[in-house]
Formats: sequence, C-alpha cells, structure tokens
Amino acid sequence: MNKELEHSFVTNLEQNQNIVHKVCRIYTSDQDSHNDLFQEITIQLWKAYPKFRGDAKFSTWMYRVALNTAITLYRRSKRSLKTTDIDTMNFRIKAEEYDDEVEQQLKLMYAAVKQLNDIEKALVFLYLEDKSYKEIADTMGISEVNARVKMNRVKTKLKKILNP
Amino acid sequence: MDELELLKKDWQKQEAALPRLSFEEIYQMILKKSSSIVKWIFVISVLEFLLWASIDIAVRLSGKYDGLEVAGLEGFSIVSTVLSYSILIYFIIRFYLNYKRIKTTDSAKILMQNILKTRKTVRHYIWVNISFLVITTMSIVGYLTFFTDTYSQQSADEDIPVFLVIAITIFVMAVTIAFIALFYRLIYGILTRRLKNNYNELEKLEL
Repeated sequence: MNKELEHSFVTNLEQNQNIVHKVCRIYTSDQDSHNDLFQEITIQLWKAYPKFRGDAKFSTWMYRVALNTAITLYRRSKRSLKTTDIDTMNFRIKAEEYDDEVEQQLKLMYAAVKQLNDIEKALVFLYLEDKSYKEIADTMGISEVNARVKMNRVKTKLKKILNP
Repeated sequence: MDELELLKKDWQKQEAALPRLSFEEIYQMILKKSSSIVKWIFVISVLEFLLWASIDIAVRLSGKYDGLEVAGLEGFSIVSTVLSYSILIYFIIRFYLNYKRIKTTDSAKILMQNILKTRKTVRHYIWVNISFLVITTMSIVGYLTFFTDTYSQQSADEDIPVFLVIAITIFVMAVTIAFIALFYRLIYGILTRRLKNNYNELEKLEL
C-alpha cells in the first residue's frame, strides 16, 4: 500500500515538477537554495499527500502546499546570504522574436520581482501562472477584493522599482 | 501594466529552461527529513515543557518543599503541586491540538495563524509558570515574614531587616524574569520574525 502511494506520488510530482521549480525560481537566487527549497516542498507535498483526495487537480493542490512551504515553512539556509550568488532568474532562454530592448526590459522585470517581499512574490507568481483572482484569494486566504487591491499595489511597486 | 503582461508571456516560455528531475531523484527526496520551521517550533516547545516540568520536579526532589511543611504550609504545598501539574497537562493538550491543526493545504493566512497559535500557547505556558513562581514565592516569603516567628527571629539574630529580605527576593525575581524574557525574545525573534512579517503583510491587505 505504502509503495503504491509512493509510486503514485512520485509519478504525479515528476509530471508536475515545473510548478515547484517555478516557485523555487521566484524565491531563491542560487542553485543550492533552489535544490534545498525543492527538497522541502517535496517533503511537505509528500506529508500532505495521503489526504489528497483527488477532488482537485493534483497541480492545483500543489500550488498551495508549494507556496505555503516557500512563504511560511522554509527556513532559508545561510547560503542564500552569500554575495557570490548566481541569479537563477538569469538562466533564461532568449526568445527569438524579442529584440534587445525587450530582452533588457525583461531582465529588469525579473530583477524587480526579486526585490519584492514574500507575499508580493506569491501574488506575482500566481498572476504569472494565469490564476484567477478568486484562486489567488483562496490560496492566500484573503478576500478577492483584497487580492485585487494588493495586486495593483504590487504593480505600482514594480513600476517604481523599474522607474525610480 | 503592459510590462507585467510581457513578463507573463515570457514566464510561460521559460518552462523549457527549468531543471528536470528524474523519478529516482524525487523518490530519494521523500525519504529525507524535513527541516521546516514548524518542526523547529515543535522541538523547542517540547524542550520548554520538559525544562519547566523538570525544574519543578528537581525542586521537589531536592526537598525544598519540606521546609514548607515544617512551617505549617502543607496545604499550600499540595495545592501548588496539583495546580502546577494541571497547568502543565492543560497546556500540553492545547499545544498538541494546535499542532495537529497545522496543515500545509490550508490557505497561507490560516496556516500562519495556526503556527503562530502553537507558539502563543507555549508562550502563555511560560508566562503562567513565571507568574505562578512569583506568586508562590511572594506568598511564602510574605507568610514566613509576617505570620511566623522563623524569619523575624532569624532577622533579629543576623541583623537583616525584613524589608531587605523582601527587596532581595523581588530583585532576584526581577532579574530572573528579565533574563528569561530576553532569552525568549532572542530565540523566537530569530525563529518567527519572517513568519510574523509575512503574516502582518498579509493582514495589511484587510482594508
């Protein structure tokens, strides 16, 4: 039984691992921290898995646990304080259709997102993942109106970071 | 904001740049132990319960309470014993129930609330214990000073005025409490600062 559960969990996670990698990408700045956070999210997902009933999509269920781990449960290791960090956000695929100006703008945008606080990052992440305000509100535990208000504030903040 | 829209488009394109772990690699991960803040809070809280309970037991075993019986405070001793164990049991149960309620599948806000609640329970336990200590010490010292001959005679013999005994007791207690308070601020300051900041940030949204 346990083996079966393990197998179905790992298979599910392997198929949907992008979600976890993306959370790690928003919240960490170097490869070691990325792996560390990925590890912790995996453990938390596994711990919660026996209660996963399948009434929601596995991927939808993952967003919550992954974000909760990143915002609340994860203890940043000292590594992430090192100044020699390579920003994983910079490992990007350069899209063909973008000109240099757009490419530059995108780089600045990613750097700006990194400067946001944990909660703001979560909102931006869910927004980038094309989640509705209702889903964002549910995940964060706030009202839909507040999710909208906060998202607007984050947009303003990003603008300020980009155009000081 | 069109920049954010631009970012959104690019974000979805970047999926291809993400690392990819194998079944085996993920499988190895679920065998490892968590190092989450909840686990740390749990471990530290259990240590706190053990520490206070063992202080109490150590004091009892050392025979400090025997003096009370001599002074005619047996009743007081029994009541304080029953009370301190009831307090311990009550808080352990509450702590356990709070801890059980922590679920990563809740919304971020509820999860944070529940974690902070387990912390609060242990903090209450500490403060109840400290108050308990202060009240019992004060009442014993008060009783011995004003209602028995033991201290008044001793004081006369050794030339220590009664108020000095009380002043020293209060001073020692104040220093102890200040020390404990500082200790807690440091430990939990480090452990829950980020959690509290995030919770406040989320609360700030509520208009």
